[in-house]
Amino acid sequence: MKATRVFQLTALALVVVAAVQVGWWLYDQHAYTVEKVLAARGAYREQTAAAQALLDAGVSPQRIAQLLPAIVVRDGRAALAAQIEQTLTSEERHRYNQYAWEGSFFLLALALCIAVIARALRAETRVREEQESFLALVSHQFKTPLASLQLSLETLALRAPPPQTARTLIERMLADLARMELMVTQILESARLERGRVELRPEAVPLAAAVARVLAPLEERARQERIVLSCDIAAALCVQSDPLALDMVLRNVLENALAAVQAAGGGRVEVQARAANGEVQLSVRDTGVGFAPADGARLFTRFTRLHGSGGGHYGTGLGLFIVRRMMELAHGRVSAHSDGVGQGARVELTWPEAPAAPAALQGSTT
Amino acid sequence: MSPPGAPHVLVVEDDPHLAAGVMENLRAEGYQVSAAADGAQALGWLGGHACELIVLDVMLPGMDGFSVCRALREQGNTTPVLFLTARGDPADRVRGLEAGGDDYLPKPFHLREFLLRVRAILRRWDWYRSASATVATAVLRFGGNEVDFRAFRARSWNGEAQELTEKEAMILKVLAEHAGEIVSREDLLERVWGYDVFPSTRTVDNFILRLRKRFEQDPANPRHFLTVWGVGYRFLGEGEP
Repeated sequence: MKATRVFQLTALALVVVAAVQVGWWLYDQHAYTVEKVLAARGAYREQTAAAQALLDAGVSPQRIAQLLPAIVVRDGRAALAAQIEQTLTSEERHRYNQYAWEGSFFLLALALCIAVIARALRAETRVREEQESFLALVSHQFKTPLASLQLSLETLALRAPPPQTARTLIERMLADLARMELMVTQILESARLERGRVELRPEAVPLAAAVARVLAPLEERARQERIVLSCDIAAALCVQSDPLALDMVLRNVLENALAAVQAAGGGRVEVQARAANGEVQLSVRDTGVGFAPADGARLFTRFTRLHGSGGGHYGTGLGLFIVRRMMELAHGRVSAHSDGVGQGARVELTWPEAPAAPAALQGSTT
Repeated sequence: MSPPGAPHVLVVEDDPHLAAGVMENLRAEGYQVSAAADGAQALGWLGGHACELIVLDVMLPGMDGFSVCRALREQGNTTPVLFLTARGDPADRVRGLEAGGDDYLPKPFHLREFLLRVRAILRRWDWYRSASATVATAVLRFGGNEVDFRAFRARSWNGEAQELTEKEAMILKVLAEHAGEIVSREDLLERVWGYDVFPSTRTVDNFILRLRKRFEQDPANPRHFLTVWGVGYRFLGEGEP
């Protein structure tokens, strides 16, 4: 990493030096041409003066033409031949044009090189800063459940609590472990998405069954947290998506909705879907903590965790980023809306509609 | 059930599991415990209640723990603060103490160490309060200066009003209790900060410089806060002859 940066900086320095050299070459060549043309004009002026002196001394114009072929005599006056004057002017212009074109080309090429290297350096700096901030964030996010886990274990060891308290502590530890596992999964998924190492195999997937599969393990938690789950999706509705990617997207969105409602002390999460214009739109509505309307787009960028957005505060800030990338890869769209903090939220997911698969008939609604 | 008169601790932590664990353990040790999930809640609670210690998470939603502590100090609230944070590097540690914190414990922490630190902070403040409880011990007069330990205020020899930080007041208290004796830097660290908080005893030197600026007529030639080279400091109420 360091060696690459040194190489890039050296290349940038060399290209800048080369650009300066081209600039100097242009200036030098221009000065050289000016000097040579002036010298030639000076020599011709001397020849013209010599011819005039010879004329004045009585030498015939024919003799002068033999001695000084560049000089013509008209009406008793010596002058430089017109074609010589034209040649001088044309040569001067030719050289200037040559320098202008060649110099501009080289300078443009070098400027492009400088821009490309500078851009690469900037991108690398951004990536490094992002990685550092990611590491800081991840370590912070891990330390909190880790601290809770250690505290619960040490409480068990130090106090030998009664069975009911011990059970509460164990459940807390399991939940902390689940949080850490979710973070690791999200980090790995995000890394794979970033490197483009995700190959989706789209097929017709019954949406109702996919949602039911994700909701089933969440029902117990919803009951405990006084969250009412409802789902209204026609069993025959199918989306064109990779089943695993669909599962990941639904899991992230529904868990987020549950966390937002849980943070608000309970409420409702409603899932609905409808087909229109060759697309299927799934809407996940919750009565949770919501977010400022202006934050709707920011939610899907990496490492965004809005304060007051419920479970997001514990997350890595990667869940909705993964959702957006997965939806893009599946030729779908995702958007989030809220009327404000405390006003609940609505996430809309849109996929291409697929013709109903035979398996869809087995789909169910909750 | 906490015994009546037990010290009251406010736990400000947004992680419900960690908050529950900390509170259960504090209750088991006999403390009264209250909770706040963010800085605004904590400041609101402290507006109407008093406590002996605040256990304050740094990474809180909205207002962070450092800002909460600074806001408290600006309001004149001197309740000791123990920071809990996932950021344990020395720069953050110093930031926490500069914000007015009394101690700093990085996550994850050992339960015994946490309880030990809570006890140490409460003991230090208990000592400070009891040592400033009577009219005779609440006010210190020396060299034309007058220090009110309970109000953390002072009037210096030139009539200038001074607001003391709790650390300055505590150092002055320790030195005044041992007037005429040599007090080592390590003793001052132990009595005022507890162990393991600052990396060096230079911090004590800086606080002594601040006290000299406040109370000495010529801080470069102090008469009350004398340096005993290589050992520590000696306080002379009457001034060096």
